[in-house]
Amino acid sequence: MHNIVSAGENALLIYFGDKIDATLPEKIGNFANQLKNTLSDVIVDLIPSYTSLHVSYDLNKIAEQDLRTQIEQCLTQQESQSSVLESNTTHIPVYYGLEVGLDLERLLAEKNLDLESFIELHTEQAYLIYAIGFSPAFAFLGEVDERIQLPRLPTPRIKIPAGSVGIAESQTAIYPADSSGGWNIVGRTLLDLSLNNPENVDKFRVGDKVKFYSITRDEYLKNGGLL
Amino acid sequence: MSFKVIKSSFLSTVQDYGRLNHGEHGMSQSGVMDEHAYAWANHLLNNHFNDAVIEITFGGLQLEAQTDTFIAVTGADLDFKINDETAQMWHGLQIHKGDVLSWGNPKIGVRAYLAVKGGFDTPVLFDSRSVNLREHIGAKLAEGDELSYKGFNETTYRFIPPQYIPNYNQDITLRLLPTYQFNEFSINQRDLFFNQNYTVTNANDRTGCRLSGAPISIKKERMISEGISYGCVEIATDGLPIILLKDAPSIGGYPKIGTVFSLDLARLAQRQPNTKLRFELMNIHEAQKQRKKFNEFFEISF
Repeated sequence: MHNIVSAGENALLIYFGDKIDATLPEKIGNFANQLKNTLSDVIVDLIPSYTSLHVSYDLNKIAEQDLRTQIEQCLTQQESQSSVLESNTTHIPVYYGLEVGLDLERLLAEKNLDLESFIELHTEQAYLIYAIGFSPAFAFLGEVDERIQLPRLPTPRIKIPAGSVGIAESQTAIYPADSSGGWNIVGRTLLDLSLNNPENVDKFRVGDKVKFYSITRDEYLKNGGLL
Repeated sequence: MSFKVIKSSFLSTVQDYGRLNHGEHGMSQSGVMDEHAYAWANHLLNNHFNDAVIEITFGGLQLEAQTDTFIAVTGADLDFKINDETAQMWHGLQIHKGDVLSWGNPKIGVRAYLAVKGGFDTPVLFDSRSVNLREHIGAKLAEGDELSYKGFNETTYRFIPPQYIPNYNQDITLRLLPTYQFNEFSINQRDLFFNQNYTVTNANDRTGCRLSGAPISIKKERMISEGISYGCVEIATDGLPIILLKDAPSIGGYPKIGTVFSLDLARLAQRQPNTKLRFELMNIHEAQKQRKKFNEFFEISF
C-alpha cells in the first residue's frame, strides 16, 4: 500500500514501502516517469529515493488535496500496468590497489580476505541504484555481499579524491567529485563522473544498474591514473 | 555592459530563484536565501522574477560600473554606498560609468541583494545561474571578475510601500507545517519543541541553520533516506533541530518534525547567530494561501 504525506507547502512524499527492497527502485522510477507524463504542468521536481518519491509542485496551479487525489488515481492505474522502464547497466573500470584504496588493507585484514577474493566479491554482481543524492550524480548502490560490508569511518575524511569507490554497510558508491566523506575507500575509477562533463548529470538513474570491473595498475597508470 | 569586482572578501555569489528541477540528479535547490528581498529587488526594476542577482553575505564587496545602468539593492543593511556616500536601499537607482558600489560591515541583517536592470548574464548551469559551492557549480565573486548583465530598453521603476520593508532586528517565530514524521514524535516531545526558545548557532550557512536548545527525541528504529524539502526541520541524533536550506543535499536520513513556511525562511536568512526563535504550527491551507498571494504579486510561475 502507498502512503502519501505532506512534505511542505509545495511538496508531497509518496511512500511505496517501509523497508529497503530491491523491487522498489524500479517501481518508483516507473511511477516518476508516469507522473512526469500525466502531471507535467503542475510538477516541478521529483526525487526518488529507497522507498519514496518526493514530489514538488507549483502551488499556484494546484491545491494539495487535488494533487493527492490525482496521484492516488495514477497509483491505481500503475498497479494494473506492467513495467515500462528499461533498466540500463553502466560498466565502471576500477583499479583496486592499496595506493588508491585507502581502506583496502584494513578491510582485507578485518575480513580475512585476499585482494583477489575481495575483487571478485565486489565485481561479481550488477548493483541496483537505490537513490541519487548526497552530492550531484552520487549513486547509492546495493546490496554489497555481506563478506565485504564495513560500517562508515568514525570520523569522515576531509577530502576523498574524485573517482574513489567506497563501501558503507550494504552500500557501495563512487564519489563523482572531490568531497568529504566517511565511506571505506577500496579503489578508484578513471572515468570522469563529475559535472565538469555536464552529460554526467543523468548518467545514473534510480532503478538502473552499475557493474564494476577490475583493471590492472598498468592499465590505470597508462590511462592517466594518479596514485 | 558589466560590473568589475574591485574587492570581494567574504561570500558574494550570483543567485537566481534556484535550480528547481534537478533533485532527481542529486542536486540541491540552490538559489537566493531571502526570497522576499530578492523578489522586491527584481520587482523594483520591473525584471523577470527569475533574473539573477548578487547575494552579498556580510558585506566586503566593491564593484565598479563599466556602463550606465539601473540597480536596486534590498535585504540586509550592509552599509551600502555609492562613491563613498550612503546610498538608498529598496529603491531603483540610476548609476553611471565609473561609479563604485560598496558594501562594508553588516549593520542589520545578513544578506543584501543587488539586482541590475535586465538581470546578470552569467552562464546558465543546469537550468540556473545559481552558484553552489558545495556542488562545485560556479564560484564566488573574486577580484577582477567581470559581471555582465543583459541589456534593457525601458527605464521605469516601481516603488515599495514602506510598510513592506522588513525589520531584521526582531526575534522571530517560524511557522511550521506538520509534515514528514511529525506524527511519529510523541505529544510530549512536540510540546517541548513548540514551547521553548531556540537560539541560532554559528553553524548557520546556505546549507542549513543549526539551533541550540533543549533536545527532543523520537522513538524510531531506522530512518531510510528520503527527498528533502526546502525548510524541513531535521532532528539530529543529539535531539537538536537543523533547518535545511537552499544548498542542502537533495536526500537525507534524519527524522523531520515539519517544514518551515517559505516566507518565514526568508526572514530567518537575515538573522545572525544568537537570535532567539520559536516555532508555531501552521496549516497547509493558510501557507498555500499566503504563498500564492506572494507568487501572484511577484509573477512567480514555473
